[in-house]
Amino acid sequence: MEQHQTLVDHLDKSLQGEGSSEMEQLISNDPETAREWNYLLLAVDAIQEAGLQEQVAAVKQEWKLQQMVATRPSGGVVRRISRNLVKVAAILVVVGGGAVFYKYATISSGSLYDRYYSSYELNTSRGAGDADAMEKAYHARDWNAVLASFSQSKRDNKTDFLAGMADMELKKYDDAIEHFEQVIAINAQAGSDYFMDEAQYYLAISWLAKDKVNEALPILEKIRANKEHLFHDKVTHMSFLDLRLVQFKESR
Amino acid sequence: MNVAEKYTDAELIRAVQEEKNLNRAILFIYQQYALSTSSFIIHYGASEQDAEDVFQETVISFIDIVKKGKYRMEASIKTFLVSVARNIWFNELKKRERSGHREKLYEHDRDQKEDDISFKISDLEKKRQLRDLVHQLGDPCKKILMLFYYDDLSMKEIVEHLPYENEQVVRNKKYKCLQSLTGLIKNNPEIARQISELVK
Repeated sequence: MEQHQTLVDHLDKSLQGEGSSEMEQLISNDPETAREWNYLLLAVDAIQEAGLQEQVAAVKQEWKLQQMVATRPSGGVVRRISRNLVKVAAILVVVGGGAVFYKYATISSGSLYDRYYSSYELNTSRGAGDADAMEKAYHARDWNAVLASFSQSKRDNKTDFLAGMADMELKKYDDAIEHFEQVIAINAQAGSDYFMDEAQYYLAISWLAKDKVNEALPILEKIRANKEHLFHDKVTHMSFLDLRLVQFKESR
Repeated sequence: MNVAEKYTDAELIRAVQEEKNLNRAILFIYQQYALSTSSFIIHYGASEQDAEDVFQETVISFIDIVKKGKYRMEASIKTFLVSVARNIWFNELKKRERSGHREKLYEHDRDQKEDDISFKISDLEKKRQLRDLVHQLGDPCKKILMLFYYDDLSMKEIVEHLPYENEQVVRNKKYKCLQSLTGLIKNNPEIARQISELVK
């Protein structure tokens, strides 16, 4: 039992100095230890294979979602929106108002981003311990310092999320998207939800900032359908009519 | 989710080797090669679901080969993926014991380069068996082992991800889970035989 534990410690590289070389000798000289060692190596291989399989499967699901959005029959949507637009146009003619025309002319993903983006308030109680350099920089709204801390700290969902928010504040949306997607991928793989809701919401907002309403909409619809989602209330107050209008406009 | 940048073959190999933005690289592989490779497999009698499964195995195999430094850029990635997928599909047909006719056609058609690929994926079935054993562990064990051995998280970080009280509890749990997994592997007669031969 004790020797097996030491073998696992050797596997995990947590044995130091002589302990490690003694174990290597034992593996070389004792067939029973060598057999156990090979089983452990095989177990780690199996875990890594299973991990890779889950990672690929998670990305495949994202790709399939993209495929569905890309191949969704646009005719129906266009026809439905077109009919609405005809009605709107008729009303406009009747009432003589130009407000809707103005709205259509000026609305864009970017304008929706401006409307819906608000900074993320970091709750310090969410941290695992005392506020670290990254949290302090975040509270001080020193975004470059947040990113500098990120590059020096051990990466996890929280640091990725905060780095993503700092990138958003600095208008580096591609980088922000990368961080939020990383949080979502890690959670999908681990079956956890650490900073998941936050990452999903701000990923959608980042796509709006990049004028990619087609990327943002499926995420926002998913949040709207989930009453338990942290940002559910916020998303239900969004104008999906405006989002669809932008989708229509940007698809032309 | 989208891909902002395109990868050349060399850039894609580097991204996989360095595991930098691996999700983006995988997504790019799907966007660029999934449909054409699947069509090819479907041409050889696969259903759409078969083709999807085969392509997923192909991507896993490709990443594995690249990570282990066994990928030689003798052909384009597209050609390589198609060859791997074709091998996987014909192995699958063989497994289903209805490949006689098709395999003869395949054996006749294939070129020299694919012998190399066949060798590289020859242990695919073994890998599948090993993965299945991990899935037999149940979620709590699977998560803890993957976070440690795949995501490379420390015990401290795992405490933040999973509902365990402290690092020692995680360490004990991880040890027991690893024992369960090695137990499952030992109970697989084929694997046990190979290990015994290895340490003779």
